[in-house]
Amino acid sequence: MNKNSFIQNFSDQFDESDDVEFTASTVFKDLDEWSSLIALSIIAMVDEEYDVALKGDDIRNATTIEDLFNVVQSKA
Amino acid sequence: MAFLKVENVKISGVSTCVPANIEINEKLPFYKSVEEARQVVEAIGIEHRHISPKHIAVSDLLIGAANSLLDSLGWEKDSLDLLAVVTQTPDYVNHPTSFVVHQSLGLDENTMCLDMYHGCPGWVVGLSSVTTMMTTGCIKRALLLDGDVISKDQDASNREERPLFGDAGTATALEYLEGVAPIYFNIGSKSEDGMALARTQGGYRSPFTMETLKIELDRKAGLLTGSDSIDSMDSMDVFSFAITKAPKAMKRLCANFDLPLADIDKLVLHQANKMIVDAIAKRMKVTEEKVPLSLRHYGNTTSASIPVTLSTGQTAVDYRASHLKTLACGFGTGLSWGAVYFETSNLVIPEVVTIK
Repeated sequence: MNKNSFIQNFSDQFDESDDVEFTASTVFKDLDEWSSLIALSIIAMVDEEYDVALKGDDIRNATTIEDLFNVVQSKA
Repeated sequence: MAFLKVENVKISGVSTCVPANIEINEKLPFYKSVEEARQVVEAIGIEHRHISPKHIAVSDLLIGAANSLLDSLGWEKDSLDLLAVVTQTPDYVNHPTSFVVHQSLGLDENTMCLDMYHGCPGWVVGLSSVTTMMTTGCIKRALLLDGDVISKDQDASNREERPLFGDAGTATALEYLEGVAPIYFNIGSKSEDGMALARTQGGYRSPFTMETLKIELDRKAGLLTGSDSIDSMDSMDVFSFAITKAPKAMKRLCANFDLPLADIDKLVLHQANKMIVDAIAKRMKVTEEKVPLSLRHYGNTTSASIPVTLSTGQTAVDYRASHLKTLACGFGTGLSWGAVYFETSNLVIPEVVTIK
């Protein structure tokens, strides 16, 4: 599983954060655009791209994009 | 695995009854701006929902749906052998709702009454139970009534839940008829995640205390702030469950019984919200025009959402006019799912009944 492509897939779920540079250490819940709807589209993306079913707690317990990447990698 | 093939039962008609009163999502009190409200409406696909006033209980909606369907079919009330009710919002704590309906409809004392407690997969699970009871021909005619007044159970201040749910009652008429196309089911449970949709207080494990009763009343009055709430839906868990399990269940059903997905005329999904319906349809690789929606004007009507979808709007016109092969899936409460394949010819569908 490639970390950079995960970050790209992650950032694709955001429409209005063009000025934000998404990196492994981005604290995604601090982004202005972060919302419960984006959380759902992240879950859908992870199911589609990695065939992993994320739980609510996986999102709640993750701080950075890398945290979530690690969760997906451990379940893939 | 619970794969069922049920022969000799015809789905003859479907009807819907809703309270006349509607609640418009854009006007809900907790949006900061019109734009924010429109964004939510766009994402969930729900413009308004029918909400019961105080004096309407679920039996009123079920009776409205039952009467109009019996009239349209021309079925005598004493020809019913079985009356089944699926609801999670019964009229009374103790006294099954099927008996309330039985009395109100004036049914014969030889009509069997059966209540089933279930949430969103309830219509499919109820259909599997009733049709398997009918398959040997001992029961010739049955009504499956399915609905909730789920708005009475909602957290009125919850921004994630309140825009979704609407009230509805439905009736599905079933009759024994040798040689009709079989109905196929796949039903399953993932109970380990069930608390994502649980309401734990006020039952017999945790009866209300003065403190929890106050929270409950505040919840319904919209006075709770997030942290006070005892139970709230884990929408991320439910979403993840729905978009992964529902497509798998339907694909497994089709594979098990050799039902080509390409032959399906309608894919009728539990109307959880538009994001979920779209995500499941995409995973099933079914084109949009085959996936009818009722949620825009009815919202998520819990277990009634599949029969509501069949019997309202343009979808009702299609079902009245032709022979259709339907693949449907309910999912949620349990957590669990019910996938079903059935064929119908010129379904009898009366106009939607509204009551005040």
